[in-house]
Amino acid sequence: MKPWTRYLYMIWLIVSKDIQVEWRGKQGVPVMLVFALLIVFLFNFALQLSPELQAGLAAGLLWVSLMFASTLGLNRSISLEVENKALDGLLLAPMDRSAIFFGKSLSNLFFTFMVALVLLPVFSLLYDQNMLHLNLLLVIFLGVSAFTSLGTLLAALSIQTRTRDVLLPVLLYPLALPILIASVEASRGILSGQSKFELQSWLFLLLAGNFLFYAAGILFYGTILEE
Amino acid sequence: MTISCSSQITIQGLIKRYHFRPVLDQLSLTLDDSSFCLLIGANGAGKTTLLRILAGLARADEGEISIGANHNFSDHLLRLNLGYVGHEPMFYNDLTAVENLRHYAHLYLLTDAEEKINQTLHLTGLSQYQGQPLRTFSRGMQQRLSLARALIHNPSILLLDEPYTSLDPLAAKFLDNQLHGLQKPGRTILLAAHRPQRLLPIATHIAWLKAGKICQHLPIEQLAECPELNHYLQERV
Amino acid sequence: MTKQPKVLGILDILLLILVPASLVWIIFFTPMEAVMGNVQKVFYYHVAAAWAGMLCFILAALAGAAYLHARRLQWDWLSLSAIEVGVVFSLCAIFSGMIWARPIWNTWWVWDPRLTTTTIMVLIYLAYFILRSGLTTPEVQARLGSVYAIIGVLTVPLTFFSIRLFRTIHPVVIATGSTGESAFNMSPRMLVALFISLSVFTLLMADLVWHRYRLAKLQSNNRKR
Repeated sequence: MKPWTRYLYMIWLIVSKDIQVEWRGKQGVPVMLVFALLIVFLFNFALQLSPELQAGLAAGLLWVSLMFASTLGLNRSISLEVENKALDGLLLAPMDRSAIFFGKSLSNLFFTFMVALVLLPVFSLLYDQNMLHLNLLLVIFLGVSAFTSLGTLLAALSIQTRTRDVLLPVLLYPLALPILIASVEASRGILSGQSKFELQSWLFLLLAGNFLFYAAGILFYGTILEE
Repeated sequence: MTISCSSQITIQGLIKRYHFRPVLDQLSLTLDDSSFCLLIGANGAGKTTLLRILAGLARADEGEISIGANHNFSDHLLRLNLGYVGHEPMFYNDLTAVENLRHYAHLYLLTDAEEKINQTLHLTGLSQYQGQPLRTFSRGMQQRLSLARALIHNPSILLLDEPYTSLDPLAAKFLDNQLHGLQKPGRTILLAAHRPQRLLPIATHIAWLKAGKICQHLPIEQLAECPELNHYLQERV
Repeated sequence: MTKQPKVLGILDILLLILVPASLVWIIFFTPMEAVMGNVQKVFYYHVAAAWAGMLCFILAALAGAAYLHARRLQWDWLSLSAIEVGVVFSLCAIFSGMIWARPIWNTWWVWDPRLTTTTIMVLIYLAYFILRSGLTTPEVQARLGSVYAIIGVLTVPLTFFSIRLFRTIHPVVIATGSTGESAFNMSPRMLVALFISLSVFTLLMADLVWHRYRLAKLQSNNRKR
């Protein structure tokens, strides 16, 4: 195999392994989903949201619940590797360590995106607004991708601390703030029917975030994991 | 892919510090091709650190390692030839034994994965348990599966870190036989143990790690010439 | 005990003179802004503190990169020192900003992009301290801390632009005129005062980071024994 195809194959192996583990144990996506729904309900009562919810609030609520739920998935994904030190097995394998980063963040992206796909119709029902929108799906993909890539990187940091996974939100949320803002604003724009032109700058920010975090992953993931 | 066929390991001036203290302090060691070297030393002498550095899991602060004619130790293709058994089994609890092995077989790009999986499962006597999830495995079975994982790609360098830990006498006996069969031309084995007595008949060399340095390294036949080492071994029967 | 370098001692004394001198200059020799009055004079130290804080974080990231490259703990001491000093300066910037905002905008807190970005930066680096305290060996602290310091600085432009974009698109809740500092025209003498405070704070930052670095060095000497 050529080095490049081998690299992609390794990433695929890690993603498919994560999906297989999830399929067996069902410890990740269901928990994330229930947690996301709970947050929606909590916010509903805490903020006294009415069904005639503005597009802006629905978008914000969607993203907050999605990011909270995703954090659970990120922690689950790394603790899976640390348990029994399965991560050492990946580190021993003949591949560049950045492939592990890509594998882990893509599987995290996949799981969070699955949760989003279930959340969207639920939101449409609860707040009486059609949210199944192709452009919105694109924004969710970009936002979640940036968030999970950064999260995958930081989860590998936090898991090495004494408090294990507790630290992840504290590390992740301040750094992910621009992603949250851009995602919410872009989603809000789509739901309120703004033109593509008005959304351009937000999409650009999301792309820049993706670029930055994946680049940081390639550069630093090996450094984070080696002793 | 260029992989040199010699599996001689040369370590020079290796330093690794934790808490400012060198765990490995200017360690140098040469393991000949096809040798079976016992790495002995008290707990905390740095055996695990040395093995983890050789396996590429930890990074040395200073020093050179070359394998065969290959001086670029960080080349990840070198890991194609490397098998490592550590303290932890490195498996996913939710997957079955055979699924775990398949994952590793694919990572090592084995073309005849299923055949190799069956072979190693048979070799380690786990064929009948292959469909069980790993969480149901006892410590001894996990250790055997670990060995299967380390052997599946037929590595020319095998690093074993205290493989006898928490094995009952029967399992230990089984491992004895296994290790006996692992030796072959072209394969270099480094096994760390703090009670190495039972392995003396199998090993070809013995290296004594003390205070971060190799203080003795000699062929097993010359063991008698080193009373200090003999005394150390006697203490730990 | 290692002796304090001479240059550092001179810098200390210089700052003992310069800091009060700059204050005197700002209070007595700088014209009063026509609309805002005396409270505008907070601005000189506010901007200077924010500037010094940002400089610290950039320095910390560079030192972090140097650590990852050379693996010498000295770089990590510099990185840690810069972040500690940077957090203090940023807090000064935030509080002085609030003091300014109270009479001018009639509220303690404004979601101004610069002020919010500074606050987020403080949160990022508070997390940095928690991360370090959760790790046990100095080598691991240095390695993971360096990575985090670099990623932290890289996201700052993203944060700034996202908040700025957020503000410009939304109806402005609190009329800031045009945003922040550009709300008034600076006379040449005001620019001189700004330049003075920026230079003094840069020197002060260097001095504090240097002292903190020496402290880290002494601490590690102590632990090594």
